[in-house]
Amino acid sequence: MADRNTFRLMLIILGVIFAFLYIPISVLVGLSFNEGGLPTAWTGFSFKWYGALLENEDILKAAGNTLIVAIFSTLLSTLLGSLLAIGVEIRRRNGKWLETLIFAPMIIPDIVLAIALLSFFSLIGVKMGLHTIIVSHVVFNLAFVCAVVRARLKNFDWSIVEASADLGASTFTTLKRVIIPVLMPAIVAGALLAFTLSVDEFIIAFFTAGAGRASITLPMQIFAMIRFGVTPEINALATLVMAVSVIALALSQRLNKGGLPGQ
Amino acid sequence: MTQSFLSIKDVSKTFGTVQAVDGLSLDIRKNEFFALLGASGSGKTTLLRMLAGFEDLSAGDITLEGTSIAGLAPNQRPLNLMFQSYALFPHMTVAQNIAYGLEMDRLPKAEIAARVNEILEVIQLGHLAKRKPEQLSGGQRQRVALARALVKRPKVLLLDEPLGALDKKLRSEMQLELKRLQHEFGITFIIVTHDQEEALVMADRIAIMKDGKLLQVGTPHDIYEAPQSKFAADFIGVMNFLPVEKKGTNFVGADGSVIRSESVTEIAKNGAAIAAIRPERLHVTGTGENQLSGEIAAVAYHGLDLLLHIKTPLSDTPVISRMTADEADGHAPEVGQSITVQWSAKDTHIFPN
Amino acid sequence: MSTDRRPMILMTPAMLWLFGLMVVPCVLILVLAFFRRGVYGGIEYTVTLENLALVFDPLYFKIFLKSAGIAGLSAAIACVLGYAAAYAIAAMPRRHQSMLLFFAVLPFWSNYLVRTYAWIVLLNREGLIVNLARWLGFEGELPSMLYSEQAVIIGLVYNYLPFVILSCYAPLSRLNPDISEASRDLGASGWTTFRRVTLPMTVPGIATGFVFVFVLSIGNFVTPALLGGGQFQMIGNLVYAQFLTANDWPFGAALSMVLIAVMLGLLMLQAVVAERASGRKGAQNG
Ligand SMILES: Nc1ncnc2c1ncn2[C@@H]1O[C@H](COP(=O)(O)OP(=O)(O)OP(=O)(O)O)[C@@H](O)[C@H]1O
Ligand SMILES: [Mg+2]
Repeated sequence: MADRNTFRLMLIILGVIFAFLYIPISVLVGLSFNEGGLPTAWTGFSFKWYGALLENEDILKAAGNTLIVAIFSTLLSTLLGSLLAIGVEIRRRNGKWLETLIFAPMIIPDIVLAIALLSFFSLIGVKMGLHTIIVSHVVFNLAFVCAVVRARLKNFDWSIVEASADLGASTFTTLKRVIIPVLMPAIVAGALLAFTLSVDEFIIAFFTAGAGRASITLPMQIFAMIRFGVTPEINALATLVMAVSVIALALSQRLNKGGLPGQ
Repeated sequence: MTQSFLSIKDVSKTFGTVQAVDGLSLDIRKNEFFALLGASGSGKTTLLRMLAGFEDLSAGDITLEGTSIAGLAPNQRPLNLMFQSYALFPHMTVAQNIAYGLEMDRLPKAEIAARVNEILEVIQLGHLAKRKPEQLSGGQRQRVALARALVKRPKVLLLDEPLGALDKKLRSEMQLELKRLQHEFGITFIIVTHDQEEALVMADRIAIMKDGKLLQVGTPHDIYEAPQSKFAADFIGVMNFLPVEKKGTNFVGADGSVIRSESVTEIAKNGAAIAAIRPERLHVTGTGENQLSGEIAAVAYHGLDLLLHIKTPLSDTPVISRMTADEADGHAPEVGQSITVQWSAKDTHIFPN
Repeated sequence: MSTDRRPMILMTPAMLWLFGLMVVPCVLILVLAFFRRGVYGGIEYTVTLENLALVFDPLYFKIFLKSAGIAGLSAAIACVLGYAAAYAIAAMPRRHQSMLLFFAVLPFWSNYLVRTYAWIVLLNREGLIVNLARWLGFEGELPSMLYSEQAVIIGLVYNYLPFVILSCYAPLSRLNPDISEASRDLGASGWTTFRRVTLPMTVPGIATGFVFVFVLSIGNFVTPALLGGGQFQMIGNLVYAQFLTANDWPFGAALSMVLIAVMLGLLMLQAVVAERASGRKGAQNG
C-alpha cells in the first residue's frame, strides 16, 4: 500500500525535524538542572545554578535594566500602536506609503535599524543609555502592537461606534468607553508581545546602549557571557529567559485568537 | 398655521456619482408613527442616517421644531437611531447598555437606575439585566436596542428595519409591541422597512421612496385605495394590471372592450397605459360598469376568502379576483369553468405605462 | 468630510515616532555613505563616492560574496527541511495540524541568543556531540565543530527553520486535494504529481521562506560572532566593526546601503512572485 508507506515517511520526516528543533534546547534545559554542571555526566537534579544567578550582581543589574526597558517601551508602544491601529482602521482608505511606513519596522533587519539609530543619536548629540534603547524599541514594538490590534479591528462592528455617538457620547468618550474596552484583549495581547520582543531584543539595544556597563541589558549580558564559553549559570539563565518568552507569547496568543502577526 | 415638527427640506445626498437621496421634502408630525417604504437602494437608510447626523447633507436643510439641526453632530441631536444590526455594546450588560445614553446626559445615578429599571419592566427583560448581549436571543437583543434608544426619550426615534432579523411570528408580535410603546412614550417614530404589510399594520402615514425621491405620502388607506403611480400601486398590496390603449377619451383593453375609470392620472398623449384593479373589487355578482370573462385557471384559499386566478384575453398574467366566503357560497367555482366578473369605474385606476 | 480628519489625530504620534526614529535615521545612513571619513574617525562633509567604491574592492567584496553564499546555502537548506516538514504536517489528519504547527513554531518564540547558545553547548569541544562520539568509541583528538562555517550555517538554519515551515505550510494547507487526485487520475505517478502540480502551486511559499531567511542571514552578525568565532567575518560583522571599533562610519554606511539594496531587491522580487502566483490562482478558479 503506497499510501501507508507515504504516511510512514511523513512521520519519519516529522520525527527528524522535531528532533532537530527540540534536542538543542532540551539539552540546554536539562543541563541547567544538572548538579555537577558538566555536560559529561548527570550527577543529580538541582536548582543550584538558578540560585547562583541570584548572587551574580552583573546579571541582576542587567535583568533590572531589561525590565525597565521592557516596561517603558511596552507602555509607550502599546499606547502609540493601539491609537495608530484605530486611526488607520477608521480611515480605511490608506495609501501605499502609509501602509509601508507601518509595516517597515517589522521587516527591516535589526542591524540596519540599529546602525541607523546609532548614527542618528550620535550625530544629534544625544547621550545614549537606557532611554535611547527604550525609544528605539518603541519603533518596532509599536508596529507589532498595531498589527495585532488591527487584526482584531478587521472584524470590528463599527456600528457600535455610531451607536455611542448617537446616544450622546463625544468622540473621546466613545474611544474611552467603547472602542478601547472592546479592543482590550487585543491590546493586552499586543502589549505582551511587545514586552517579550523588548526583553529578547539584542542588536538594537547593543548599538544604542552607549558606552560602559551602566545600561547593559540581559541579552547583552548573555552575549558577553557566551562568547567565553559554556557555563552552568548561562544554562540556567538561558532556560529562564526562554521560559519567560514562551509563556508570555503563549499567553498573548491565547488572548488574541486571531494569531500573532506573521502567523 | 402651526409650525411643522420635523421638516426635511429639499434634502439631497450624493456619494460620488450615486444620487442616494434626490431633492426630498417631507414634513413629519409630532407623535406620528411614520413608515418609509421602498425597494432596496432607494435611499431609506441614507435619509435616516442624515437625520441622525451620520451623513452630511449635500444640499437642503432639516429642522426640528423650527430650528435647523443639519449642522449638529450626532451626539448633539435629540434624535436616536435604532440600528439595523442593533449595535449593542458587547462588553456591557443589558443594564449597562441601556444606562449608557443616560450617563452621557449626566443624569444623577439614582435617576439612571430608576429609568433603566422602568424600561426593563416595559420591555419585560428585567430578569436579563445582567446578561451580556451575546447571551441573548435575536428578539431579546432587538428589544434591548429599542430600550437603549427609547430610554433617552428622544424627540424622534429612527428605526432602520428594526424587525428585519426576526422570524415571521416574532415579527408580528413585535409590530404590535412597537405600536404599543410608541403610544406609551408619545415619541415620534420613523421606521424604515421594505415589508409593505408591516408598514400597513403599524404606520399612521407611509412614504414610498424610489431612486431617492418620494413617490407618494399618505395614510395606509390613502395609498391602498388611491395609489398615484403604478409603482405605488404595485408596492402596496396585490394589484391586477391590465394593459390598455388610450384612444381619444377612451381606454381600450387588449380585447377591444372599453374600460371605464373615474380616477385617471394625467395622461396627455394617446398610446399605451395601464389599468389597475384590486382583487377584492372584482365581483361575481352585481352591476359594475366594467366586466371581463375568462376561464378559471386556479383556485386558492386565503383564510376564508377564495382567490380565483382567471385567464383572460385582457392580459398575459391571470387576473386575480378575491371572493368572500359569502360570495363563494352559492357558486363554488371550479378550475376550468368559465366566469364573468365585473367592477365599478371608481375602482379602476389608470396610470401611464 | 469631517470624519476623515479625526483619525489623523490618533495616528499622528505614532507616525511622527516612526518618521523621526526610523525614516530620518535610515535616510541619514544613505547620506553618510557619501561623505568622507575624517582623519580622526569623525566625518568630513565633502561628497565622495570612495566609500561605495571601497565596498566593491576585492578585499571587502569577497566578504560580501561569502556572506551571500552562506546566506544562500542556509536559506536553501532551510527551505528543503522546512518544505518537507510543512508537507508532512499538511499530510497529517486535519485535527492535529494546528497543534503540530504550533510546536514547530514554538522554538521561534524563544530568545535568538539562547537558541544559538544551545548549539554552542552541543558543538563545543566538551559538548554533547563530542562526548557522544567518544562514547561510541572514537579515540583521540576530535575536531571541534564550533567556530566554523558549518556551525554558522547550522545556527542560521536552526534559527529560521520555523519561519520557512510557516510560509510553506500556508499554501500547502490551502491546496485543494482534488487537484492532485485529478492528476493521479490522468495517470501521473505520485512523484510526477508532486513535481508537476503540488510543487509549482506552492512555489510562492518557498520563495517567501527563502527570501526571508536569506535577508535575515546575510545581515546577521550574532550567529557568525558566536558560532563562527572571532576571525570569521560576514558582512554584518564588518558593518558592526566600522561603527563600533574601526570608527569609519561613512564606510559602514556604504556597506549598509549596499546590504539594504540587496535586501530590498529580494523582498520586491518575492512580492512579484507572490503576486504572479495569486494571479495564476485567480485564472484557475475563473
Ligand atoms: N457610503 C456610501 N458610499 C457610496 N454609496 C452609498 C453609500 N451609502 C449608500 N450608498 C448608495 O446610495 C444608495 C441608497 O442606499 P441606501 O442604503 O440608503 O438604500 P436603502 O433604501 O436603505 O436600501 P436597503 O433597503 O437595501 O437597505 C444605494 O445606491 C447605495 O449603493
Ligand atoms: Mg437600508
